[in-house]
Amino acid sequence: MLKKRMIALFAVSALIVSGQAAFMGASHAAPRTVTVWSPFSGDGLAIWDAAIARFEKTHPAINVVSVGSVDMAKSLAAINAGTGPDISVANGAGNVGWFCSTGAWQNLNKNIASKTVGLDVKSIFPASVLSSTISVGNRCALPFAAEVVGMYYNKDMLAKAGFTKPPTTVEELTAYSKKLTTFDSAGNIKTAGFVPWVGYNNPYGFGAQDLGFMFGAHWYSPNGAPAFGTDPLWAKAFNWQKTFITDVFGGGNFTLGKSRLLKFTAGAGDEWGGDSDFMTGKTAMWIVAQWMAGAYCDNTGNWVLNPCNHPYINFGVAPTPVLAAMKSTNYGAGRFSAQPMGISKGSKNPTDAWEVLKFLATDTKLQIDYSNWGTSIPATKAALASKDLVYPAVYKTFFDIVAHPRSGYHPLMPTGEHLDEVELDDLMAGWQAGSVTNLSDALTSAGANVAKIIERQGK
Amino acid sequence: MGKSLVPSRKRGTSGPMQPRKKLKVPWVFILLCLSPWILGFLLFTAYPMIASFYQSFTKFNLIESPKWIGLANYKRMFSDDPDFWIAMRNTIWISVISIPLRIAFATFAAWILTKPKKGMKFYRTLFFLPAMVPTVAASMSFTYIFNPSYGPINNFLQHIGIKNPPFWFLDPVWSKWGLILLGLWGIGDTMIIYLAGLLDVPRSLYEAASLEGANSWQSFRYITLPLITPVIFFSGVTGIIGSFQYFTQAYVAAGQVNDYSHSMYFYATHVYFSAFRAYEMGYASALAWVLLVITLLCTMVILKTQKRWVHYPNGSLFK
Repeated sequence: MLKKRMIALFAVSALIVSGQAAFMGASHAAPRTVTVWSPFSGDGLAIWDAAIARFEKTHPAINVVSVGSVDMAKSLAAINAGTGPDISVANGAGNVGWFCSTGAWQNLNKNIASKTVGLDVKSIFPASVLSSTISVGNRCALPFAAEVVGMYYNKDMLAKAGFTKPPTTVEELTAYSKKLTTFDSAGNIKTAGFVPWVGYNNPYGFGAQDLGFMFGAHWYSPNGAPAFGTDPLWAKAFNWQKTFITDVFGGGNFTLGKSRLLKFTAGAGDEWGGDSDFMTGKTAMWIVAQWMAGAYCDNTGNWVLNPCNHPYINFGVAPTPVLAAMKSTNYGAGRFSAQPMGISKGSKNPTDAWEVLKFLATDTKLQIDYSNWGTSIPATKAALASKDLVYPAVYKTFFDIVAHPRSGYHPLMPTGEHLDEVELDDLMAGWQAGSVTNLSDALTSAGANVAKIIERQGK
Repeated sequence: MGKSLVPSRKRGTSGPMQPRKKLKVPWVFILLCLSPWILGFLLFTAYPMIASFYQSFTKFNLIESPKWIGLANYKRMFSDDPDFWIAMRNTIWISVISIPLRIAFATFAAWILTKPKKGMKFYRTLFFLPAMVPTVAASMSFTYIFNPSYGPINNFLQHIGIKNPPFWFLDPVWSKWGLILLGLWGIGDTMIIYLAGLLDVPRSLYEAASLEGANSWQSFRYITLPLITPVIFFSGVTGIIGSFQYFTQAYVAAGQVNDYSHSMYFYATHVYFSAFRAYEMGYASALAWVLLVITLLCTMVILKTQKRWVHYPNGSLFK
């Protein structure tokens, strides 16, 4: 009897052990899955997916599921519901502060610093690129393609006015604009040199970000407090804007200049169509991102950047003009943001997701292929230096801007959907409309409002 | 002759009607029939309302778990949120101006439509057509039509000698008037209700008034107006609810012209921005509950005062 029991016990034990071994073996053999949601579609997504296929080839144990055409709003909703992807890609850097502070994207500091699976981000990415992936010391994103802002200028219009090169300082910008701005017999603006008016050519047109950049104004003090009321360069920038409107468009009368500009900007052509004010020669210079070059380079309306043989207009690209006193240090730099990617809160496979994320951010071929296909600027030093990059000569300025040590994004704080930028744009709009009269108080108040937002939304 | 389908009551008899036979339907069956609605109500109305009420006392950003903060959201609304007061001011403005104007315009339009002897159907269709245009398309069209640079309205105004016509949606002083005009243009749905009300007024009353020597104004003041007060009451209540939820037209128009002045920033916009731009779900929930209370109070005031001015055909006016 005892013998029989012993045999039975042995048999059961053997069964359990073998079953466990079989299970463990199976879990090792089955591929681990990482899901990646991105906003890419069409050919862009195909390039992205080809890179993912390359990754899977070198990492057979990891299966990457790529889903395109997903914006961050959808990703956030899924992350909130606990059904989000392992990795999501945002369209812009504006929300990175909020993603980092809420934990919607996981803090990557430990992964980056790891001796075994870490990443030497400073040697791989230019400093300008890295600035849009970190908030208050928490780097919760890695960069992909980049968006660079520069000043487009109409070479023919400038030449007609006697200028052989674009303005490099804000003082020159004013002087150029005075010469380039013309009026019709009724006093309406016929052509404008430059239009420092928030709301013009929006949503990607001139705003407080550009104005601040031109004057080297700081968004935040080293302790993280908004610096709008404390950095005198903000007041200087806003006063320059008002003087510009008064002198260039109003002949010394601010109300007249404002009124003329309001009418001029109301009649602006479609930024995305063939009748934008820059393309039709109504505005000689404007500050906008690199991807608009595709529209200006291709008079068939297909936004083909390369080889830029049939441009709409004879145009050039220069860095954003800066204050003359800062020219030696700041000219050549530009406002810049990378397309951020992060590992979602609740990722089921964060270890493998980190491997995938590292690859997507650092794969030189992906960076080059994506840049050559569209109009984006690569985010890694290796890709930026590659001879395989193909772009027209007019585009080189954007690459130079990325390389400039002073290029970058303003510090990203936990302010919801870039509400700090909204706050300053609102102030700028009130200032240009004349409804804000006490600039000092308004700047202090804007700073206090942003401080409140940070306090409410921060940890 | 076949058996009558009406079992108990004969025509012309004056005796009391016999009660119908009660159908015996099992409760389970009734509940089963009602279950789609009950489920829908519980899932899509009751639960969100309870959840938003709870969230209104929390700090909740969608990603982290809600954190109880008591009445802080409500306190902030009234003492530390300038945008709340901007939105409230704009909403009260649009309510006070647009509701009476809509009532007056709808009455006037409906009254005009009672006049033509020929082509009545054509004119009614014509007046109703704007109400069928999707709100977003209508709002975008209006910002184009009223564009101070190339819009046909200002071209016309300049043509007739107005040198400096308003900048409409681009001018904080005129932007809400642009929205009012947009609302009046699409008055068709309200107008139809008024038209039904006007056509319901017995002609004999006008004939009697005419024999008594009443002029058109007196007929309108003492016959038409009292008899359409139920319609006015109805459109007043729905108008208040609608104006406190005013969103689409303002959101589209403000986006079209980059309304940095916030002159088209209404209460519902504030709720939306708080929820989906600032990601402050707790605060947005508190805003939504205050909106509900305000709407409820306004509606109650109208309901309370209706005895004084609303005349129902079977009510005091005809007793």
